[in-house]
Amino acid sequence: MVKKVAIVGYAQTHHERDMQKTREDMVFDVSREALANAGILREDVDTVITASTDFLDGRTISNVFLSMAVGAHLKDESKVEEDGAMALHYALMRILTGNHDIALVEAHTQSTTFNPHQISFYTLDPLFDRQIGLLNDVSASAIQANMYMNAYDVSEEHLAEVAVKNLTNAANNAYVQRKMPDLSIEEVLNSKVYYEPIRELTMSPISDGACVLIIASEGAAREITDNPVWIEGVGSCQDGYLRDKDLKSLDSLKKAANDAYEMAGIKDPFVELDVAEVSERYAHEELMIYEALGLCREGKGKVLIEREVTDIYGEMPVNPSGGALAADPICATGLVRVVEAAKQIRGEANGCQIPDVKRALAHGQFGICAQKNIVYVLGSEG
Amino acid sequence: MGYIKDERPQTMMVDGDWQIGAYTYKAPKLVEEFVAGLKEKKIIGSLCMGCGKVIVPPRRVCGRCHRMMEGRQVVSNRGTVTSFIVSPPVKEGKMIIFGIDAVGSGAIKEGSVIIPAFVRFDGSDANVGTEILNVDAKDVYVGMRVEAVWEEKPQGMLSDLLGVEPLKDGE
Amino acid sequence: MRNTAIIGCGQTKHSSRRRDVNLAELVEEAVYNALEDAGLTMDEVDAFVVGNMQGFGGVAQPEQWLGDWIGAPGKPVLRIATGGTTGGSVGQGGYYAVSSGLYDKVVAVAWEKHSDSKEPGATMGLAHVGIANMFHALGYGLSLKSLIASAGVGAAAGVAVYQARFYMHRSGCTMEHFDMVAARLRRNAAKNKYAHLQWPNCKPEDIAKTEIVAYPFRYGHVCPASDGASAIVVASQDVALKKCKKPAWFKGVASYSDEENQLQSENYGGVGVLDSSEQMGARVSAKMAYKQAGIIDPRKEIDVAELYTPFPSQEFIFSEKMGLFDEGQAWKATEAGETEIEGKMPLTPSGGVNATNAIGSSALQRILEAGLQVMGKAEEHQVPKKVRNALAHGWGGNTNYITVTVLGDSPRR
Repeated sequence: MVKKVAIVGYAQTHHERDMQKTREDMVFDVSREALANAGILREDVDTVITASTDFLDGRTISNVFLSMAVGAHLKDESKVEEDGAMALHYALMRILTGNHDIALVEAHTQSTTFNPHQISFYTLDPLFDRQIGLLNDVSASAIQANMYMNAYDVSEEHLAEVAVKNLTNAANNAYVQRKMPDLSIEEVLNSKVYYEPIRELTMSPISDGACVLIIASEGAAREITDNPVWIEGVGSCQDGYLRDKDLKSLDSLKKAANDAYEMAGIKDPFVELDVAEVSERYAHEELMIYEALGLCREGKGKVLIEREVTDIYGEMPVNPSGGALAADPICATGLVRVVEAAKQIRGEANGCQIPDVKRALAHGQFGICAQKNIVYVLGSEG
Repeated sequence: MGYIKDERPQTMMVDGDWQIGAYTYKAPKLVEEFVAGLKEKKIIGSLCMGCGKVIVPPRRVCGRCHRMMEGRQVVSNRGTVTSFIVSPPVKEGKMIIFGIDAVGSGAIKEGSVIIPAFVRFDGSDANVGTEILNVDAKDVYVGMRVEAVWEEKPQGMLSDLLGVEPLKDGE
Repeated sequence: MRNTAIIGCGQTKHSSRRRDVNLAELVEEAVYNALEDAGLTMDEVDAFVVGNMQGFGGVAQPEQWLGDWIGAPGKPVLRIATGGTTGGSVGQGGYYAVSSGLYDKVVAVAWEKHSDSKEPGATMGLAHVGIANMFHALGYGLSLKSLIASAGVGAAAGVAVYQARFYMHRSGCTMEHFDMVAARLRRNAAKNKYAHLQWPNCKPEDIAKTEIVAYPFRYGHVCPASDGASAIVVASQDVALKKCKKPAWFKGVASYSDEENQLQSENYGGVGVLDSSEQMGARVSAKMAYKQAGIIDPRKEIDVAELYTPFPSQEFIFSEKMGLFDEGQAWKATEAGETEIEGKMPLTPSGGVNATNAIGSSALQRILEAGLQVMGKAEEHQVPKKVRNALAHGWGGNTNYITVTVLGDSPRR
């Protein structure tokens, strides 16, 4: 990276099924908290990028009445209409340009407004898939899961193991919706079936939540904090449309990860990364993510979970915070992963802390079957 | 630069829909405070303790100060017209909002002229969107002094404030 | 700070019903034209920045479906949407993507296909803002008459009518001046082969004959709802110097937002701006963009301005906020003919939003048209003077989002 940019502050809501707060209040509270966390004033912020979508928020120009709440009055503001991790990408570009020094990135979704699984229907090809009416993101993911599981002999138990890992990890995370410290594989396999093999406990819960991240250029970052988290690499990629790509591997994630690794100078991610926070909306996605991130070879994701390599005490912990399976405030999910990864580096991850984290990976996705992916490599000061 | 097609045969069309009526929105208790005030024939606004701005109807966040507007302020029932629109005479079939015909539904009388306006009540730093009643369109001007017109027996609803009318001469 | 330029522009023909293409094909047309103009192949593109107002077309995250048509698979795609100024934000996103150093060649494309909506014109997507805000107010006894008064009377013009009244009161301009502006924009559009409402010899009297929608606006003043897409290819300095004889360099970019200033805010709360023609956000954006561009006296240094004006009153308001005329004086320049294509301060030679309005793309079109002027490629509506600096402006949201872009014929030092 030509210039250095660091994360200097963050905040997230306590994600829950039905937050008793309006969008405005939720965004206001979390913005104030993030500014306090960074120890800066609203006046110090140069640019604000928000992330929310019109369809999910149920109003056109979804940010128009939130600009004041997020603190964007008379600030250079824009809105990215997808995952917050992609809004972070845009904010990063703005700082790298040199026009701005401090950026505030905000992402939110209140899933109670409209069920996101129903919204996913509207992202389908309107000419063909929508007319036939069989697909939504859950059924499409089930198709993906079946393809993947058949190709590489992955069983439902493997999926349940991912769910158990993440949901028991989540019990240590104050901010999530679904914490299940005593979850067993049997319970996961007995949970309600949506579309085989996708069950209640192997898919993310839909949540209300918001998240704010503050980033700054090197000079500003050093003034603000003694504990900056450097963004060492970023990579983003979009796959072809649902029916036109190979569903059993996350190709766009592979490309995004490789771009991020190249920028960060990482040759062997398994060795050089200390922890990874990934957005796994479905349990089988996490196994596919292991492969795409290069943590294991193609088709071997199941081995990592069998051998507990990605458990909180394993050699390559993945999702010590519980991941998306614990809380999924749609647009905020990816940004929350960045926050959780940054917390690991700063030593502020409380109950979920992995010891001695120098480099972390954060991943965000958007679109049916993880069509778009973005990867960050974060590094500590030393 | 580029190509512009000379011929444009029509392509196939398929249907789709989007159920915007199926959304659930969350709202703060502010409107309840506002209508409670209307029941007393009072207009209430929120006051920012940082910059002193009063916003009517009350809102949560003051953008400039980035803080909640915790204070409450009763503003005057009298105010000034800051902007207005004059509709052409309303005819049946010509004004349809969300599928409802303005005249056909009985909401508006055929041939009447509606004057929606922005009114700044004295003491408020915000405009309220309302209607100017009991006046000829040609007599309305920016800066006109007006007074709130109330429902006979206010029920604690937004419709208690029927609109505004010009202040009589000498008031 | 990396210098960045527009090296290619592409648009589709805008009309009220492009029923010969579906949404994906419409966008592809613009991207194809832009790549051809830039001399690049689809493979050479490093990233895409896209946007539209998805509520209008009824397809959520459309770039996930239509990405295949524009060569997006395997590349980073960023979706930006900010209401009416979506196109401007998309164009600025393209600028930031390249000048950040992360990408060298970026296609920024924005579009809208209003005719896909069965609701006439643009109401579908706009109804959403209304419904979302009025929803619970209806539960508190908002009368039907009130709802109609606020939603109905303004109709297509709504927000802008109040704004026009504020301006007329302050400045002394009249409806006749609006007629002059609308006529000029339709005449200009006739010289733009991609524009929608083309009226070759339109005179103010022709506009004055049209019916009054809501005083002071006539049907002749109101913008259409068009189907169309526009795309620009943004490149780094090295690529631009190699590929393009006369690139349009990005010199100043700003998008400062102000408080909402027209409708009630979310949940029926009042709004903090008293005069919606005051446009503080526009003033700050213009100042910041000029500062970046090194422009001290816009009146002398800006050679042509593409303003985002769906309604003629906004041309006066925004040209003043951009510093091109004194407060309250812009209408006099129109009277004097200064804003014609051959005039002293040509405004919106392409015909602008008043003649062509595909909401998602119209603000990007302003950047595109300003770029064409700098590059000398505007054909029939090219201003007949040397264009050193061109201004592009966009507004959106509740007229509280503004984008201002300054393009020039030489890079920043």
